[in-house]
Amino acid sequence: MASVAADTVSTRPLSHRPWWRGRLVGVGVVVALMVASYRLGVTTDANGVAVARFPWPEELVWNAFPGHLDAFQTWLLDQRNAEDPSIVFALFNGFATLVDSLVSWLDRFLLWLTWVGTAATATLVALRFGGVRAAAWVAGALAAFALMGLWEESMQTVALMLAAVALSLAVGIPVGIAAGLSTRVQRAVTPVLDTMQIVPAFAYLMPVVILFSVGPGAAVVATMIYAIPPAVRITALGIRSVAPNTVEAATSLGATRPQILAKVQLPLARRMLMLGVNQTILFALSMVVIAGLIGGGGLGDLVTSGLYSSPAMAILAGAAIVIVAMALDRATEATASRTDPTRRHLDDSARRTLRFLTVGAAAAAAASVALAKELGAPAAYPEGRSAQEWLLARIQSALDYVQDPARFLFAVTEPLGNAILVHLVQPLQSFLILGPWFTTLAGVTAIALVVSGVRPALTTLAMFVAIGVVGMWEPAMDTFSQVLVATGIAVAIGIALGIAASESALVSRALRPVNDVLQTLPQLVYIIPFVYLMPVSIVPGIVAGVLYAFPVVVRLVERGLRDVAPEAVEAASAFGASRTQLIAKVKVPLAGDAIMLGINQGIIMVLAVVVIGGLVGSGGLGYLVTEGLVRGQFGQGVAASLAILALGIALDRVTQATRQAGKEVLA
Amino acid sequence: MHRTRRKSPIGHVLGLAVLVLAVAGLVSSGSALGGARQACGTVTLNEQAWAGSTANTYVAKYVLEKRLGCTVKITKIAEIPVFQAMADGKVDAVLEDWQHVDQYQQFVRKQKSVVLAGSNGLIGHIGWFIPRYLLKQYPEFKTWRGLKGKEQVFRSPESGSQGMFLGGDPSYVQKDKELIQLLGLNFKHVTVGAEPAQVARFMQLIKQRKPVIFYWWTPQYLNASLDLVEVQLPPRFKGCKDDASSGGDIKQYRCRYDAYPLMKLFSKRFATSGSPAVKVLRNFRWSNADQNLVAKWIAGDKVKPEKAAERWVKANAAKVNAWLK
Repeated sequence: MASVAADTVSTRPLSHRPWWRGRLVGVGVVVALMVASYRLGVTTDANGVAVARFPWPEELVWNAFPGHLDAFQTWLLDQRNAEDPSIVFALFNGFATLVDSLVSWLDRFLLWLTWVGTAATATLVALRFGGVRAAAWVAGALAAFALMGLWEESMQTVALMLAAVALSLAVGIPVGIAAGLSTRVQRAVTPVLDTMQIVPAFAYLMPVVILFSVGPGAAVVATMIYAIPPAVRITALGIRSVAPNTVEAATSLGATRPQILAKVQLPLARRMLMLGVNQTILFALSMVVIAGLIGGGGLGDLVTSGLYSSPAMAILAGAAIVIVAMALDRATEATASRTDPTRRHLDDSARRTLRFLTVGAAAAAAASVALAKELGAPAAYPEGRSAQEWLLARIQSALDYVQDPARFLFAVTEPLGNAILVHLVQPLQSFLILGPWFTTLAGVTAIALVVSGVRPALTTLAMFVAIGVVGMWEPAMDTFSQVLVATGIAVAIGIALGIAASESALVSRALRPVNDVLQTLPQLVYIIPFVYLMPVSIVPGIVAGVLYAFPVVVRLVERGLRDVAPEAVEAASAFGASRTQLIAKVKVPLAGDAIMLGINQGIIMVLAVVVIGGLVGSGGLGYLVTEGLVRGQFGQGVAASLAILALGIALDRVTQATRQAGKEVLA
Repeated sequence: MHRTRRKSPIGHVLGLAVLVLAVAGLVSSGSALGGARQACGTVTLNEQAWAGSTANTYVAKYVLEKRLGCTVKITKIAEIPVFQAMADGKVDAVLEDWQHVDQYQQFVRKQKSVVLAGSNGLIGHIGWFIPRYLLKQYPEFKTWRGLKGKEQVFRSPESGSQGMFLGGDPSYVQKDKELIQLLGLNFKHVTVGAEPAQVARFMQLIKQRKPVIFYWWTPQYLNASLDLVEVQLPPRFKGCKDDASSGGDIKQYRCRYDAYPLMKLFSKRFATSGSPAVKVLRNFRWSNADQNLVAKWIAGDKVKPEKAAERWVKANAAKVNAWLK
């Protein structure tokens, strides 16, 4: 830590010597030592293949661990399916049944309205509360479902997602408020949220099914596990970011705590809360396919079965999922900004007009439903009159192009894929897998110590030991190497695009839909073409990680660069700094904090798609988690998931502590 | 569920025709059965992800709806969770299960909430496959002994100095890593992930007429359009096992994969419901060739599953009538 202090002292005002530069030397020394020990640790087997001389020792593996988990699952199954199950199971089952009936009621209601009625009602509601743009989004989305011939499936997914988002917010916002108000709650909740976000859904799908059976109820529960964390985190952040002097002022005026919360903190955190709603929607929509595996129905089912028998249909259904997400997101956003009390001040006559408009919209909606029913409009838009066949044929011809190795594209992508494999992944992989376990362990701990300090180093050590103890050392090192490569590429792309976006509003606007698409389009949909284009295992999985993670890095980098104090920029330009110099010497160093947060979030996002990687050939932990679900090897799936979690926590703490250190330096 | 079709104005005439046909079908099948039978009600079938399962499910749906007047709902729940779904009575039947031994132990034997309803007539068989064009240059690849010392033919960037063996979908029974080790072959076992990803991998190599060896199985509709040859593995012996995830002495895996019948499963509730659909689904049997054909129509030729089922049923009246007896 002493060298860090020296660094800070020696920094000159504007060309801050970034806090990490002194540490890079330390990291370099550790890595050099690891490389040296790697050469000693590797040997070859009978076939001349390199193998580890010091793999994680068998004596240090808790072999019985997966067996205990399997026994637990069997016990749970026995209890659940006993003649008279305990009241606890009745409660879980009751909740699932309640949600089941809610979702299917909503779904039936949307069909009962007839497609004309649904379209008219949804558009009018959006028009009244969200304005013209929101109405255009909703009407456009509905037109797209009709054109795609996926009306009924889309309505099922919309019903499921409305329920999942509503319930996630109902849980997430109160918990978020509590975490925002109390540091103790925040500290208690954070590890739970980390776990919910990093542990792959495949690992908890079976327990969810045992407790909640299958169907929309269970699908909603599985979705909530993934969608609640952003709601909690962002709500808490919103409450915390309310300026303390505002709260003090209210206190001195004699406001009670509930009053402060309701009248000061919540209204001021409104924009953050809306961001929370937006993220909850996107996270929930990214679970549609997995929800389908346990009876969620709708578009998710079409993606899964489409992958096996009709990839074009999988892509079409994936596009519909993205449209559901974007329409829900844009409509809620427009509604929020239009109804923002800080922005509009209503007098009595304006209020009366609005009330009149509400009644008018309701009447028009009712009239259109009545008319549609009178004229015998069908419940769902008739598939026969959609453009589905045409769309599928177009998608198929694009797929045919991608799948033909004689095409030009393949001549570019195949060598690129091979190069990523041979020059990036394989060296790192053999370095981490074949290197002696004790030097790897010492190495990562030392790096954590150099970069972030004692506590994160101890956490890292504990996490890597845990990985070995649950018997996942080798697959975890495999996954670790892939995560490093994917994060590296994602951060490189993210920083480049983030800089571009911060300099140009056009780039920034163009990137937003890209971000939404990549966050909600089921990864399997866009990754299968890459399996054809870069036919080496591991690489498609890395592509999935990069595509899922880089938009977040872009957004955080862009935000950080835009938030750089204008005085610093002005001062530098007054000294005649060019635009490039401004970016490289002023903005990027000053935005180091946000960039580190981008790296941190990038790692978490890459870890979130490790399982998808397992489905397209990445091996490692992702494969073991998948196998755990599809072969009913619960214990193995959980052990591998815990290893993913441990890896996530270690990497998160290392990068998060750097971020805080960076903040201190900048302060 | 699946798709309640609403008639468009254009479809009115067609709809009427279908209705007339359906009524006629009902009347005729009703009279064939002597008219005395219980109402069928709703039957829920679970369709698994692969094309063969889609073929089973839609053929059964067509027969149950058109010949028995049942309403058939189709769910698409994953292979393992569907056992709990059957225990809860939310799914009535699965028409193709690749022998999930642990789940049979838990749900069929212990809880008795799921019932084995016999084979669906298909024989599942797993093995190592290569494209036939390889045999021209390497006729010895017909058996595993011929592969020995020539593994390098299958080299790829990711297998380094070794040959590359493309492993199977994680959800299927396998022991290839063990076999490679037991037979002393210099292969690197590469896991390529789920079935669609595995197909993508070997299809790219086959299109370029490159060497490839992989885990594969029948029945699979792609086999009709791919000219594949199975590599002969050591013969089976008593006590030889196929599922390496059950562990134990590695030597017990040193044999070719067994061929085994694919099973139908009913929920206990459905099996004892007395619905006329129970008997028909119990009798439901067809062959690998039948399923491959229907699956190829659906997945290869992109025929709608309903249409493909109708086409097959119409062309195979004798087989279908045997299920209805």
